[in-house]
Amino acid sequence: MTLPAHLLNHARHEAEYLLREVGGARAVVVATVDGFDVAHARRHDLEASRMAAMASSIAALGQVVAYEAGLGAPRCMIVEAAEGYVIVRSVPRRDHPLVIQLLTDRTGLLGLALQQLSRSGQQLEAA
Amino acid sequence: MADHKIVFAGSPGAGKTTAIGAISDRPPIVTDVRNSDSSLKKDFTTVGMDYGELDLGDGERVRLFGTPGQARFDFLWSILATNALGLVILIDNSRADPLQDLGLYLDGFKHLLPEVACTVGIGRTESHPSPSLDEFGDFLAERGLICPVLPVDVRRRDDVLLIIDTVLAQAEARID
Repeated sequence: MTLPAHLLNHARHEAEYLLREVGGARAVVVATVDGFDVAHARRHDLEASRMAAMASSIAALGQVVAYEAGLGAPRCMIVEAAEGYVIVRSVPRRDHPLVIQLLTDRTGLLGLALQQLSRSGQQLEAA
Repeated sequence: MADHKIVFAGSPGAGKTTAIGAISDRPPIVTDVRNSDSSLKKDFTTVGMDYGELDLGDGERVRLFGTPGQARFDFLWSILATNALGLVILIDNSRADPLQDLGLYLDGFKHLLPEVACTVGIGRTESHPSPSLDEFGDFLAERGLICPVLPVDVRRRDDVLLIIDTVLAQAEARID
């Protein structure tokens, strides 16, 4: 996996931004669409490489479900669990498509998390 | 209609997606994305699952599930293999250590192997004859497993159907 340095820097910046700014954020991973960890930030001892692989699987499954349902390209996949949320957002760059995975507890607002994740996704798409 | 579930596992690039596409009666569902791993000589790779269906007639249908080959996706293997009747392990004989590859999937599916019919398909044997089919058989026997080992060209529908037949025949023998 080889990504340009400026994209790696942007990915690190956005991972740190989301961990800092999203209420209840536990971990953020930016990954390639085939499941490699590009950048991560975390408050807990989570295995970033495993999170990256899972993020790419969730994004790919979400994509195929959305297309099969005739809903077009998906932007976001949300897993609501008892203790929090897993949110995966696609970053459809033409050269290096990416995914962002955000793990939060329930202390923050889901809507705000989605908004901030959307902002980071757009930043990475334009980087 | 009686549904049977067969899971395809095996090395990245061995042709799991192609094999399912070769025999599926409907356009297969695929979750291929652009590959960024330079150690794999392919443009796209499966990161979620493949899905296809094969109608056997007489109200029997096989549902075909493909798994991602890379070990980083092993969390999906047991999920996709739940309630499977059979397991097909496809090995690419052109890779550096095909026997080690087989060992990875035997370990990854070790909880499933005592319960399901398993067939091992070896690809690219014409250009890469070593290890031989006998060596694969010996490798399985060392682990206490007896599974058919067949050469396969996953692009050929008949080759893949033969593997499915082999899995179903074993499953039938287990029931008997």
